[in-house]
Amino acid sequence: MTSGVAIVGVGHSGFSPIVAGLSYKELMFEAAQRAYDDAGVHPRRDVDSFVCCSEDFLEGTSIFDEYVPDQLGAVQRPVQTVSGDGLFGVATAVMLIRSGVARVVAVEAHSKASDIGSLGGIELFAMDPVLNRPLGVSPLAVAGLEMNAYLERTGLTEEHCAMVVAKNRRNALDNPRAAYPADVGERQVAESSPLFWPLKELEVARRADGCVVLVLASGELAPELTEAPVWVLGCGWSSGSASLESRTWGEADFVRRAADMAYGQAGIDDPSEVVDLAEVDDTFAFKELEHLEALRLAQAGEIAEMLESGEVETDGELPVNASGGSLGQGHLFEAGGLARTMECVEQLRGEAGQRQVEAVDVAVAQSWRGVPTTSAAVVVLGTGEG
Amino acid sequence: MLDKLTDPALVRRWGGEIPVRHRYTPGLAGEAFFTALRDRGVLLGSRCEACEYIYVPCRLFCERCFAELTADTEVGPGGTLESFAIGYVDVEGEPLDEPVTVGLVMPDGADAVLFHFIVEQGEEPLEIGMRVEVVLRPPGERTASILDIVGFQPAAG
Repeated sequence: MTSGVAIVGVGHSGFSPIVAGLSYKELMFEAAQRAYDDAGVHPRRDVDSFVCCSEDFLEGTSIFDEYVPDQLGAVQRPVQTVSGDGLFGVATAVMLIRSGVARVVAVEAHSKASDIGSLGGIELFAMDPVLNRPLGVSPLAVAGLEMNAYLERTGLTEEHCAMVVAKNRRNALDNPRAAYPADVGERQVAESSPLFWPLKELEVARRADGCVVLVLASGELAPELTEAPVWVLGCGWSSGSASLESRTWGEADFVRRAADMAYGQAGIDDPSEVVDLAEVDDTFAFKELEHLEALRLAQAGEIAEMLESGEVETDGELPVNASGGSLGQGHLFEAGGLARTMECVEQLRGEAGQRQVEAVDVAVAQSWRGVPTTSAAVVVLGTGEG
Repeated sequence: MLDKLTDPALVRRWGGEIPVRHRYTPGLAGEAFFTALRDRGVLLGSRCEACEYIYVPCRLFCERCFAELTADTEVGPGGTLESFAIGYVDVEGEPLDEPVTVGLVMPDGADAVLFHFIVEQGEEPLEIGMRVEVVLRPPGERTASILDIVGFQPAAG
């Protein structure tokens, strides 16, 4: 089964702790130029609809969707903004194409995090204003509480989380666009400053500037545009409870539902048998492990063994975040999901260079919107139509 | 073609602030919860009969089955520590003078948790699953706010 939609072009810019001198519009223009060039399309002629993913407070501009058309070649064309991670934009693009509204859609998301002067304040304002915000504590508290509950439930330890950091930062050494490649020892992670114990400084992905643009096309058109279409086999999304009080703690049930929706469309019963590569959210190191379980790529009881045996390394059975993830590439905010999707596309095309995983036919990308949210999206991609 | 800047000293940036003021309405359920907290010193929840789930704070509707609920179920004051975390940084990431401990506490009789400070810890290390109890401000100092709760402390005995 397939959605009848393929990714036919990818482009990025930045992926750097600070992209000094370029405006967010210029970052978007650069990524869009590359994506359109990759797809062999011109936005003024060939792209029927445009989807951007952004959040006003992160941009420092109210009604930010008004500011996106020009740098994408989208003036006087159908444009919409999704206030969410870029994968929600991919879902929107799939629907636009499948419903016949468009044949070619561009999806964009970016981070100009280095322009943000008060990120903590913005994140605090994402907390419930009546019940939670008056405590005045950093929203990292939510991550610390979730990490402690997750480790308690699964029996996994801080050492396992440190292994994720070491792996992803090391994987980033083979990724030329990664912002934070490093050979980090697990002991360094353990000894890094506690932020909201058990969460420590090196377990938190550091922010980066960057932009990703994808071009999606209908199944009829895709083979005309590229010799290597990457098919969207399934795409799902889900939100849990916004309430800290009544949400599920210690497991990502909303990721599970998003994944099941995507796997269902792809006709995949047991993803652990089918998926060759996973790019999952690792905004916090423990989240990679929690998300692997929610994606049904590992049982909680298997994760320690998978880490210790090297199964999740780039040359292992199930490479996880071969790109370096957000820990290695940088935290790109709403562009995180598109960065992971771009990595999957490059891997499926066999264009991932030194970090190329062998024999990739099916890849999964997953996003989470960060604390304090419970929103996730999952896309399943393949070289065959399914 | 415009060349990119190579000297960071030449990067020009404009400062800006978004002055945002808002008044948040706690709603019918919020009024009931905060009034009960201020006037009677109790934690008020809502039971969903269909879901066999007791929310705290109380609320007007069930997020699981969409049923309309009433605020009629008192929970606590004892409870169980479901998770905790110890903060060393403030909202902007600057070091705190003193660490702050927060926890998720499931009050007795409730299925939901409250997010609040853990106070008066004493010598024993915190453990998930331990018994705790709510600590309230003195009646005359309460303002019908979540801060009428000082936090939760390990239960005596």
